Amino acid sequence: MSGVDTLVLGAADAMAQAVRTGEVSATALAQASLARIEATDARVNAFTAVTGDRALARAAALDAALAQGDEALRASPLLGVPFAVKNLFDIAGLSTLAGSKIERDSPPKAHDAELVRRLEAAGAVLVGALNMDEYAYGFTTENSHEGPVHNPHDLERIAGGSSGGSAAAVAAGQVPLTLGSDTNGSIRVPSSLCGVFGLKPTFGRLPRSGSYPFVSSLDHLGPFARSVGDLALAYDAMQGPETGALRDAGCLQRPLEATHAELAKGTQGLRIGVLDGYFRRYAGAQALAAVDAAAQMLGAIEVAHLPLVEAGRAAAFLITNAEGGALHLSDLRTRAEDFEPLSRDRFLAGTLLPAAWIDRAQRVRRVYAQAVARLFEHFDILLAPATPCAATTIGQEWFELNGQRMLVRPNMGLLTQPFSCIGLPVCAVPVWGEPARGGEPAALPIGVQVIGAPWREDRVLRVAAALQATGVAHAPVAALTA
Amino acid sequence: MMTPEQIEAFVDASASALALNLQPAHRPGVLRFVAIAAEMAAVLDTVPLDESVEPAVNFVPVPPAPEVQP
Repeated sequence: MSGVDTLVLGAADAMAQAVRTGEVSATALAQASLARIEATDARVNAFTAVTGDRALARAAALDAALAQGDEALRASPLLGVPFAVKNLFDIAGLSTLAGSKIERDSPPKAHDAELVRRLEAAGAVLVGALNMDEYAYGFTTENSHEGPVHNPHDLERIAGGSSGGSAAAVAAGQVPLTLGSDTNGSIRVPSSLCGVFGLKPTFGRLPRSGSYPFVSSLDHLGPFARSVGDLALAYDAMQGPETGALRDAGCLQRPLEATHAELAKGTQGLRIGVLDGYFRRYAGAQALAAVDAAAQMLGAIEVAHLPLVEAGRAAAFLITNAEGGALHLSDLRTRAEDFEPLSRDRFLAGTLLPAAWIDRAQRVRRVYAQAVARLFEHFDILLAPATPCAATTIGQEWFELNGQRMLVRPNMGLLTQPFSCIGLPVCAVPVWGEPARGGEPAALPIGVQVIGAPWREDRVLRVAAALQATGVAHAPVAALTA
Repeated sequence: MMTPEQIEAFVDASASALALNLQPAHRPGVLRFVAIAAEMAAVLDTVPLDESVEPAVNFVPVPPAPEVQP
């Protein structure tokens, strides 16, 4: 394997440094990423579009500017780093599919999404668009139109969803950095199942302009990577208020609060609690072992109880169902047969829900957020499993959890949904410990959620970095030998 | 909690009001998911809410663009 082929399987910050010093060109890096996609994606199915021409043109422009002595560009944090985005982000010249068949008829976009533009402004190079659950309504990325995304660590298993392609592309070593969205767990669930790091920032932190919505009240955007340092670099590059006339009404347009330089501070002084009750009741043996391993490394011995968690999950479920259904009512009336069969009936049901249920859900969300804020007066960080179990097999409808039979597709996110409901920042970190008991295979990862108070992504990432530094959490590139 | 019969009646009436022509193949799934939603709504009913609790949906008024000075 050549130097650049090894480099492209490593960390984004190392790639940027190699381009910065002239060790490798941005063009060679883009070519290596495109070659890796070509060599692996028939098995993984992470990509729905590869923007090779655009990537090579962009990389060549970077190389030319560097050759002419553009020192401002040379300092760019993501210089030459290949990245890809869930196909609900606008990409100039492509239709924004949002995982659907219906949107194949929509016209190509004139402009990139705001976060794509920001990553490219930081030096990154877009190489393509990624597979997802249709309209982001799912936790498995078994997309009937595009085919399922295969988990790179076991190709017979799901990648999780709805940002399944985003997690799988990182785990497969196709790119070191991707973007996804998270309404109820769609960054954290695939991070958990594919064994990569994923950050769901605070609700209202990153602008969603130029992305296809699912549930405006709950939609978040965020990055995936194989290291916490790379997550922080990308997250910092995407922060800050919008300057254009059309802005995301759900974005609070806060100034940059940089995190990358904070990572080395470690966990000293942070009060870390381990969530009990609901978060242990709905977790299998491997998920519990992962949380316990993280807690032990962090010296977290205090147990915390999240108030109103069942009600919070119910509120998120109803708001999602109603807003998601209403968004697509016109197409559901006229072309329901073109929807994803695995989620169509849920969308149809969502259009019908009584307004009083949804209003109450939004009011319960308010009191739930207030109650959890009081818990954060005693803790800085909370820990919980990201998924009840490791990746299930593609096509599997049910899983067993502590003697209870549960549907995979709606329940893989039952541990993530309570946090996105109230917009807390969460980093999912992948843990590969041996299962304590039960039959889950040890070779598969499972995620631990590192949860912070609103706007404290810095603390979340510091704890995630500590877990990575000690080896409790890591995100290796999949061997892809099967 | 709604009975299965109440859910069927509700779904048919609501779909009709919305001009949503449910196909026979889709109806059982819709009934199942409305039943799940009803269970979720019942969970919400257990949370006491003072009338002062506002929905967690914010609206920011939109001012006109500033006039361009000649």
